Amino acid sequence: MKRTWWIVIGAMLLGVPLLAQGKPLTVTGIRGVTFGAVLPGVPRVVLRTDPANSGQFDLKGPKSNVLLSFVLPLTMTGPAGAQMRLIFGASDAGYSLTQAIGSQVGFDPKQPFTAVLPNNGRASVFVGATANPATNQRAGAYTATIILNVTVLP
Amino acid sequence: MRSITKLSLVAVLALTGTALQAQTNNASITATANVQTPINVLGAQQLSFGNVFPGVNKTVVAMDLANAGRFDISGQASTPVTLSFTLPATLGSSGNTMPIVSYAAVHAQNSTQTGGIGFAPAAGASPSLNASGQLWVWIGAQVQPATNQAAGVYTGSIVMTVVY
Repeated sequence: MKRTWWIVIGAMLLGVPLLAQGKPLTVTGIRGVTFGAVLPGVPRVVLRTDPANSGQFDLKGPKSNVLLSFVLPLTMTGPAGAQMRLIFGASDAGYSLTQAIGSQVGFDPKQPFTAVLPNNGRASVFVGATANPATNQRAGAYTATIILNVTVLP
Repeated sequence: MRSITKLSLVAVLALTGTALQAQTNNASITATANVQTPINVLGAQQLSFGNVFPGVNKTVVAMDLANAGRFDISGQASTPVTLSFTLPATLGSSGNTMPIVSYAAVHAQNSTQTGGIGFAPAAGASPSLNASGQLWVWIGAQVQPATNQAAGVYTGSIVMTVVY
């Protein structure tokens, strides 16, 4: 009978889901991309290294490989549905193991990117972009949403 | 023996029931921009030399509010703009030409030229629109009719370009 119980206990221990062994993955939007005052006909660039105006996401999770992918808007929407082009260049995203804006590895936000979460499970992703107003762009406030998807790879 | 078999079966089921679930999560941020007022330029007044006599040069100074050419600019308040010009070298009339030279200009943040700043239109200028988003530019020049200048109405186009 005791040997029976040991079998049961052993089975239950082996059956423990792996999820309980690692940290949960969290992604937090820290700061949006701020273009500020934009003049019609004059493109406005925000670099991913801009500490005040670049976008930032913070990641927290298990030490592991992760896959980063963005959902990027093509335009910003303004008054009366006016659209303004929004462009993401080949180096407009950056991954930082130290969560420092001055220490990033650049990558193309239009392409999936594989990165490593370090021992402490924390990292940051920075984003820049270019707003491209037309010469007759309607004046007013424009907005768009940038989404970052993060997946822990097995 | 049966109990061991049952328990083994439970253990197998427990082991095979364990799933490796990939963690996925996402977040969003917002991109924001505030588009300013577009620039509007109006050719408000012609540069008028009036009656000109052959062999007698005539000048209209930029400070001549009645006869100088005038452009009225509107746009985003208190914003710097860059002015540039295309200036004709001659005025024409039925195939005849008359030289126009010595262009001079003034820009001011009011319509009376108070505090106006003179500049050479060929070089351009970089003033700022006033707190209401307005700016005025006047332009003068000199025509040099020949002594045998054919009579007629002579015209030409002065183009001013304004950009932020």
